Amino acid sequence: MQTRLRSLSLTKALATLAVATLCGIPAAAQNAAYRAPRTADGKPDLNGIWQALNAANWDIQAHGASAGPSFALAADFAVPPGPGVVEGNDIPYLPAALEQRKKNLANRFKDDPEIKCYLPGVPRANYMPYPFQIIQSQKNILMAYEYANAVRNVDMVKASKAPVDSWMGWSNGHWEGETLVVDVTGLNNKTWFDRSGNFHSDALHVVERYTMRSPDVMNYEATIEDPKTFSRPWKISMPLYRHVEKNAQILEFKCVEFAEELLYGSLRKKGTGPNANAGK
Amino acid sequence: MSNRLIASAIALTGLVAVSALAQTQSKPALLAKEGASKTAAAPKTPEGVPDLSGFYTTSTTVPFERPKDLGAKEFFTPEEAAAYTKKSLAAKAPTGPGTYADVHYDMAQFGLEKDQNKVGTSIRTSIVTGPEGRVPPQLPAARQRAAAKQAANRGHEFDGPENRGLPEQCIYWNGAPPMTSGGYNSNIQISQGKGYVAITSEMIHETRIIPTDNSAHLPSSMKMLLGDGRGHWEGDTLVIDTTNFSDRSSFRGSDENLHVVERISRANADTLKYEFTVTDPTVWEKSWSGEMPLAKIDGPLFEYACTEGNYGMPNNLSGARADEAKGKVPNGRAALGE
Repeated sequence: MQTRLRSLSLTKALATLAVATLCGIPAAAQNAAYRAPRTADGKPDLNGIWQALNAANWDIQAHGASAGPSFALAADFAVPPGPGVVEGNDIPYLPAALEQRKKNLANRFKDDPEIKCYLPGVPRANYMPYPFQIIQSQKNILMAYEYANAVRNVDMVKASKAPVDSWMGWSNGHWEGETLVVDVTGLNNKTWFDRSGNFHSDALHVVERYTMRSPDVMNYEATIEDPKTFSRPWKISMPLYRHVEKNAQILEFKCVEFAEELLYGSLRKKGTGPNANAGK
Repeated sequence: MSNRLIASAIALTGLVAVSALAQTQSKPALLAKEGASKTAAAPKTPEGVPDLSGFYTTSTTVPFERPKDLGAKEFFTPEEAAAYTKKSLAAKAPTGPGTYADVHYDMAQFGLEKDQNKVGTSIRTSIVTGPEGRVPPQLPAARQRAAAKQAANRGHEFDGPENRGLPEQCIYWNGAPPMTSGGYNSNIQISQGKGYVAITSEMIHETRIIPTDNSAHLPSSMKMLLGDGRGHWEGDTLVIDTTNFSDRSSFRGSDENLHVVERISRANADTLKYEFTVTDPTVWEKSWSGEMPLAKIDGPLFEYACTEGNYGMPNNLSGARADEAKGKVPNGRAALGE
């Protein structure tokens, strides 16, 4: 009897493992086996400096390498390949939206808002190639991004409706066990999901889930819902890695200045040159 | 409690948050004398450090420098302070040619006037502390450098974006220390997490992230508009030491040798006490200090997407090019009577 029971539970465990592996999420996270250290108020501690380590900012879907925008900069700024972060690799565009996406892709090296140092929106801010810092308290969780001083305040006390649309949206957060769930609304239609023209409307609604999977790695998932652009919700997921170096720090990347010549160069007085002091 | 006792109790740190909208003045809290322990009153975070978190305005009716006619008077009486605040909030905006009123840029319709919002008040006669209450004069070499910079830009104010100034370029507004009373939406958010305090300025959504471990500054070759801040707790006070400034934010003529030390503590449930000391040996002979109240506001901060909506820059530059095409020297300031 004992042996049979043991082999039953073993079978169940193996089945869970199999299902978990097929879905692409490691069994450890699936079973929520990792219990993160707690903050003083008893919540999973997400404080730290984090960064994605993938090619999602170039293209959130699986993609091969391709030429960049500049012959002169050649390999430095070619588009690197990536296996994609979209679950199922399919973005369910509505027909009209798909046409727009194709246009965006064709004009990506001109139309990507990141080129002008515009705010990246959610979820793109979390997989930019720059670190961001989470500062966590009972009242609020601040996410401060190195890119363009972008910042999000997640209200942890009282969920409220976005009073107005913004680039970085309006974030309400709560805990579900080991997971921080952030509900983001009030996003405007001006950001892209990546440098390849994947985009959305102002009906975008993002639900994020942040779960520690080991001391220095977090699982980040975002469910995208936008009935004006997509036929159904879809999901991205990726790990976020902790910057463990002792001198890790969010530094100043005020890229607005680097976009000035692009934005206003045609309006400058003839004979004057680009700003020699940019970034100093 | 006798009036004299009240007066002496608040004379040293009489800080009050006033909501002009409420039409009443909140009673000045009977604050402990300097040196007395404030630990009993100061709330703490779960980590056990003072809780300074929340939303505040740096907007205050206290002038940065002491009006000349007040001479060496560093403090008002509570009654004088109340009268000064009232007068300050009731002051009408200038209405001559080229002023905001003249071009119908009515701040009041957006709820941006000082008398429509929370302001911090104090019995101090100026933010700059000390017997003079004024910023010390710049050293001659510094004045020469400033004059040379101004001269270099004269006639070139509209050449290109780099001549317009960091705010119009949407690069930098006022996020660097020391915090000063800005114009409208002069709001900040203080967030606290394990080992860090973050101060976010609403315009232009800049966040200073301060580790509270008193760690070493970045190498001196790293220069940032917001500087590099390192903090630690001294009892109930957060002390922030900031260096590594770029010379481009230039607080009151300072350059990259600027060194700012701030002290932030809770004055009462509605107000933080904010003190700063400014040192720049190539600009001022000695350090000078300031103190101002940070009044609690409801918050939250709203997004100020500056460059995303920067119409001012292309309009000013193209206007200048249009002037030049007509043979006129572009000089927007002349229209404002400057």
